[in-house]
Amino acid sequence: MAVGSRVLEAAGLARPGRLARLREWWEQEHVFGYGLILPALLLIVCLVAYPFGMSVYFSLSDYWVGSPGRFVGLGNFRNIIGNEIFQRTVYNSFVFTSIAVAFKTVLGIWLAMLLFRNFRFKRLIRGAVLLPWVIPTALSTLAWWWMFDSLYSVVNWTAIHLGIMSPPGPNWLGMTNYAMTAVIAVNVWRGLPFFAIIVLAGLVSIPREYYEAAQVDGAGSWGRFRHVTLPLLRPVLAVVILFSTIFTFADFNIVRVLTRGGPVNTTHLFATLAYQVGLDGGNLGQGAAISLFLFPMLAAIVFVQLRYIRRE
Amino acid sequence: MRATSRREFMRAASGATVGMASWLALGKAPAFAQKRELTFLSWNHFVPASDDELRKQAEAFGKLANCEVRVDTIAHLQLPAKRAAEAQSQSGHDLMLTGSADPFLFEHNLADVGDLIGELGKQYGGWYPFAKESCETASGWKAIPWFWISFPATYNETHFMKAGLQTPKTWAELLHHGKILKKQGNPVGIAISHCADANSTFWSILWCYGGKVLEADGKTPAITSDRTAQVIEWYKELYRDAMEPEVLSWDDASNNRCILAGKCSWIHNPISPYNLALAKKMPIVDEINHHNSPGGPAGIHSAPPINSVAIWKFSKNVQLAKDFLKFLFQKENYDAWIVASNAFNHPPLKNLADHPIWARNPKFAMLPKEAEYAHERGWPAKPSAAIQLVQVNYVLPDMVAKAVNGMPTKRAMAWAEDQIKLAVQGKLREAGA
Amino acid sequence: MDVGVRSKGARIRSAAFGYANVIPFLCFALFPFYYMVITSLKNDAELYDLKAVPFLIQTGVITDHYRYLLAKTEFLTWMKNSLIISVIATSVSLVISILAGYSLARLRFRGVNSFGTAVFITYLVPPTLLFLPLSQVVVWLGISDTIWALVVTYPTFLVPFSTWLLMGYFRTIPKEVEECALVDGASRMQTLIRVVLPMAVPGIVCAALFGFTLTWNEFTYALTFISQSANKTAVVGVTADLIRGDIYYWGSLMAGAVLASVPIVAVYVFFLDYYVSGLTAGAVKG
Repeated sequence: MAVGSRVLEAAGLARPGRLARLREWWEQEHVFGYGLILPALLLIVCLVAYPFGMSVYFSLSDYWVGSPGRFVGLGNFRNIIGNEIFQRTVYNSFVFTSIAVAFKTVLGIWLAMLLFRNFRFKRLIRGAVLLPWVIPTALSTLAWWWMFDSLYSVVNWTAIHLGIMSPPGPNWLGMTNYAMTAVIAVNVWRGLPFFAIIVLAGLVSIPREYYEAAQVDGAGSWGRFRHVTLPLLRPVLAVVILFSTIFTFADFNIVRVLTRGGPVNTTHLFATLAYQVGLDGGNLGQGAAISLFLFPMLAAIVFVQLRYIRRE
Repeated sequence: MRATSRREFMRAASGATVGMASWLALGKAPAFAQKRELTFLSWNHFVPASDDELRKQAEAFGKLANCEVRVDTIAHLQLPAKRAAEAQSQSGHDLMLTGSADPFLFEHNLADVGDLIGELGKQYGGWYPFAKESCETASGWKAIPWFWISFPATYNETHFMKAGLQTPKTWAELLHHGKILKKQGNPVGIAISHCADANSTFWSILWCYGGKVLEADGKTPAITSDRTAQVIEWYKELYRDAMEPEVLSWDDASNNRCILAGKCSWIHNPISPYNLALAKKMPIVDEINHHNSPGGPAGIHSAPPINSVAIWKFSKNVQLAKDFLKFLFQKENYDAWIVASNAFNHPPLKNLADHPIWARNPKFAMLPKEAEYAHERGWPAKPSAAIQLVQVNYVLPDMVAKAVNGMPTKRAMAWAEDQIKLAVQGKLREAGA
Repeated sequence: MDVGVRSKGARIRSAAFGYANVIPFLCFALFPFYYMVITSLKNDAELYDLKAVPFLIQTGVITDHYRYLLAKTEFLTWMKNSLIISVIATSVSLVISILAGYSLARLRFRGVNSFGTAVFITYLVPPTLLFLPLSQVVVWLGISDTIWALVVTYPTFLVPFSTWLLMGYFRTIPKEVEECALVDGASRMQTLIRVVLPMAVPGIVCAALFGFTLTWNEFTYALTFISQSANKTAVVGVTADLIRGDIYYWGSLMAGAVLASVPIVAVYVFFLDYYVSGLTAGAVKG
């Protein structure tokens, strides 16, 4: 823009009105507004819209890796809905997401309230709590996997030596409920800092006068939490739950590394099943259909939550 | 050679244009590099020295052919995504490692290598039968079998001696021995989980009992049979009396760890635990030995991983790539590579298998014989997209897992048959297109 | 939260309560990291010894795994690549997001709301298979197998998130400040750069931190768009080279994980205060 105007200035000496007119045009609110979103728009159209369109096309065709497909309408969707493994995956996804998000919400608020207090080493503690969010997931899940190993599990070792479990302890990744517990635990571990830090930011923004007023009214700490903190946190919570739901629903790495969907598909999520069918198995059409199944559901959740946020 | 490769390129390019969807028309500028570069996508070999040797030979070939040869290696679980992306974008490496049903899945994207197969076969006393099963598609040979990995029994001699047992010749004997060994604290370790080993072992046992997943036509599910039922019952008993529940969570590395930790007495696996113990100088190496994969009422069969190399049709260097493969298969090169892998890489050609490295080490002596038992997954049907889906969805281990967790055998079989039917359906529609 | 005057005893009780509660969280957050560090310093014999105490090092600390990582792999090159890619991709995305975020938050024009929603929707597109068509785009652009492939594609997931975050932040800046600048004759662009941006620094830092973390940890694109070892990122390089079939180089893998986390941890600790205040405004008014 700056260069452009200078060029115009140089060229337009004879007709000074031209530059002025251009500037006037550019200074209009709607022109400026469109101008600023143009780069983002271009990016989304070129690099997101096209791949997304292709994915939708994949899902509507019998596309196999390495051979072009034919349009089959909703055939893939019909097929996967009828498949027991997919039905199990839908169930798993809801169990996984709802439990993980619930834990992250409760623990996240709790942790944020703790971090809000004045500690010695406050910075250090805040930094330490953020660590799980920061370590590359692809590597941290490997560490968890090693911790849950059937033979060398440090979790079991500790529990046995503390006398909580009797040896050899549960086989974390091989038994249905334990495996689900394990993947949820890792997801909570990873997502909790994100939750806590955003809620912490919300807490910081609550004006102190509100608490003082509540105290004058004789509210205890629980009362202050219920009647001041929680209502004022609601918009922040709505946002963070929204994002967390999206992150959790679309989780891939944890299950892929820890259980590969096992035992007997009881931990498969949309993303892992889609990857398994579409890439490992080569059935791109079905893989795309499985992963796109997520989209309308997420869109519905987001629609409701966005409405709620806007109203706030 | 330059003229040939140019011609090859034109042919390959036109083939790809016809075969692939229309977006290729949007065009990518053909960029001719100054110095030809040949690229090869392979996996991280289990034995690092094997990759070092491969790179050394690649460099030697580069000097001979006046080109640059680059070998990229990645973890084997990451290969499918890479292959799919290269097929999709019609760009990437010239050569790539393939296996299982890949030559069949990518049939239309791979260059025909029938000429090289004929030449090498003549030169080295012919290919083992599994070569044809794994690389010859309806439209010709689409990959060169490169090496196979023997999948014998690995056992702990001390545990067997302590129990006064001989090595098992059949799966039934293994069950009998396993019960005794478990009481001694040394269970058998066969994975029943979502991992490659679980698939490999199941196929072996199924075949040994005369069972099959699909009929030879590749369309008709054949899993529901008395033979499969027998296999499931065998697994149930083994799981209950000779193994520990941990096998339900295992990955490909777990059984290695179990035997190296001195806990498991018997596993079904390539020789990697032994080689690792050797390399890391673990004391347990003296206790570990191998014997041939067990048999059953229908003979001995096994499903070792068979690895092949394919050339993308879109490659600009198809002829050069073939010359490179020929170079790798020269006896002195192949021999050096076997040595570097410490007997891990088994040649698919009969004369090359005559290598002293196996005869010399009594713990390896029986390995080359495994080639005679080997089949590609799916046999007696050809590998196909349907088989691939059954494999990657772990339908077979899951069927067993369901049964050992209490589902009646008949229902577990019916569940598997359902899954197999769905896998076949997907493929049939595609074939009719 | 401590309002009014309290006795010393009450303050100590409250502090004790705080520590007692925060310690379990710290253990939960730090234990896996601790375990990674321990594993990276243990020798293999102890690592595979069933009788050893898993979270102590009993047979001596060794640095072999780190040495292997640094000498036998191209770890330092990968780190450098990661750094370059993350910095450029994050900066580019920030510029795009600042412009878009400001426009969507402050200016009134037709379609502003629907565009805001569109930005959000792109965040929902399931990424599992997106990389396949995107790999074609990368080839068309002629940048496959270079670090530019990642620099160009990473903004696809950074821009929606940052835009959305910054939108919230810009809304918190009093409108009067801008109006004053405009009345004084500054152009809209000048107002944005000289007046609004300085006030939005915490929000920008926050978006930058998120962006940096996401790019640093990205896996699928980095795996599929890059083949040459010399162009790989740290996360992909470590997992690609240290997992050999069914053999995991646990020590070196964990060493790689530890070293690869260090730069981000440093960045975070340093910018944490900005981060918290940046999120405050962004998230609250979002």
